[in-house]
Amino acid sequence: MSSHREAPEISKDPVADSTDVYAFVSPDRPHTVTLIANYIPLQGPAGGPNFYQFGDKVRYAIHIDTHGDGVANVTYEFDFTTDLANPGTFLYNTGPITSLTSANWNRKQRYSVTRVDGKGRHVLGSGLLCPPCNIGPLSTPDYEAALARPAIHKLSDGSRVFAGQRAEGFYVDLGSIFDLGNLRPFQNFNVFAKGRPAAPGVNATKFLNVHSIAIQAPISRVTKAGRPVIGVWTTASRQRVRLHSADGGQDVHAGPFHQVSRLGNPLVNEVLIPIGTKDFWNTQHPVQDKQFAHFVAHPELAGLLPVLYPGVFPNLAALVKAKKARVDLEAILLTGIPKGIVPGFTNFTGPVQADMLRLNTSIPPASNPNILGLLGGDAAGFPNGRRVFDDVVSVELRAVAGATFALVDPKYTVDAAAGQLTDGLTPADLGTPYLNHFPYLGVPYDGYDQPAS
Amino acid sequence: MPDLDDPALARKTTKPAAPSRRSVLRVAAGAGAAGIAATTLGSLVGGVAAQASTASRTPADHTGPEDPARTDALVLHVRDAAAGEIDLFRGTTQTRLHDRDLAARIVRASR
Repeated sequence: MSSHREAPEISKDPVADSTDVYAFVSPDRPHTVTLIANYIPLQGPAGGPNFYQFGDKVRYAIHIDTHGDGVANVTYEFDFTTDLANPGTFLYNTGPITSLTSANWNRKQRYSVTRVDGKGRHVLGSGLLCPPCNIGPLSTPDYEAALARPAIHKLSDGSRVFAGQRAEGFYVDLGSIFDLGNLRPFQNFNVFAKGRPAAPGVNATKFLNVHSIAIQAPISRVTKAGRPVIGVWTTASRQRVRLHSADGGQDVHAGPFHQVSRLGNPLVNEVLIPIGTKDFWNTQHPVQDKQFAHFVAHPELAGLLPVLYPGVFPNLAALVKAKKARVDLEAILLTGIPKGIVPGFTNFTGPVQADMLRLNTSIPPASNPNILGLLGGDAAGFPNGRRVFDDVVSVELRAVAGATFALVDPKYTVDAAAGQLTDGLTPADLGTPYLNHFPYLGVPYDGYDQPAS
Repeated sequence: MPDLDDPALARKTTKPAAPSRRSVLRVAAGAGAAGIAATTLGSLVGGVAAQASTASRTPADHTGPEDPARTDALVLHVRDAAAGEIDLFRGTTQTRLHDRDLAARIVRASR
């Protein structure tokens, strides 16, 4: 997955588990950028009676590096508080929730947004209400109009923010990929599949929800003058100490906040970092990523593909055997792509190797987007930032398979299959469409209509 | 937010300064509601000040000026008894003491 349950320890702490980060110039408001950080993976819509919510003791943050040194210059922090109106009932709601102030909604969650920059800490909003989870047509009728849209708040600096449940927009065939690296459209070539015919992909996240923190800010608020490229990542932090209450009361939390989850580019910690290092990676900061660069330069998956698909990737096999560093992947994921590699495009931030989602904000939104982003000739898409619909699984599979190595070594011949790799999915495999406006991710599935996800 | 176990922060940490008796007593007073750990610390704290232990502290997060009346819970962690390394966690701060005698007495008190 992009980063859902990607490391052993964080997989046990879902509310702090970042799943996806998106950063793009807003297509309907191109003077702004939209930054989205998703948490709480793989939510079954019927998961009550204690429906999903952000962690009150988790500090969520979206960081922006405007100088290209892997260090945040602007950070938006999000702190949540839950109000329990009636502890005497087991119910999330005691009647239809028709507005954010409905007395029938028993467990409301509010949050504050604090911007941290070179001038200090600035509270941009507080007491902001999240929408409830989408329960079903009786409990949360008219969900989007009555509950989600009113939960888009304007902040004191003119930015807009939303924090709450959304339909999962990341599409991926987990069931196949985690079954010995199988890709259904190519499984007729898989060494373990023993003659299974090629088949269409199956979207494992269809009908599942996620919790999104989305902020839409003027480009001028998140860039340095003359430097249009920004690096974006999210973190979740917890206080160092938690003392469990012995009597069911409030737990004690003490000490400084300590980072437990991090996400910039999709699939980096998921696929490139070895399992024994993943939780450590989550505690580190992008500026420290040089220590992980060899996992990017020599990805394990590049060595596995020729083994799983014998004879399909001969040139990749030779590349791996030669132990050549994958400078293409290092550029895409750790420094940005310098000028001169892709005609007319760059999102290079400098020599500091740091896993950040790099967005060149001077590139306008595409009028005819391609879900393969830059690989599909669309410079407004991944790895130039990431839009909600970008097919990052196929892009990264193809890149790891060598499709981008010819950009840095013209003598390299890309295997024919490398440019076609996919898990066989597109946004058509979602259960509900994206929105064409903030916060762009679709209306969350409700538990009545999708009880068996 | 950085902590004293963060290698990046550790590199930036200068030689720790010894806490004043007043600051240590303030920690103990603030920890009045912290139960056994705080009570134990309170009984030992005179020794702490007397023996010139050293301490370093993470920057407070976004808390305001120190309030002597604070009753935040205080949690004490003896990281390394032999080295006398003790961490105090309160609010959003972490204070590291270096005091072998105090560490030894805490260990004895815990048996």
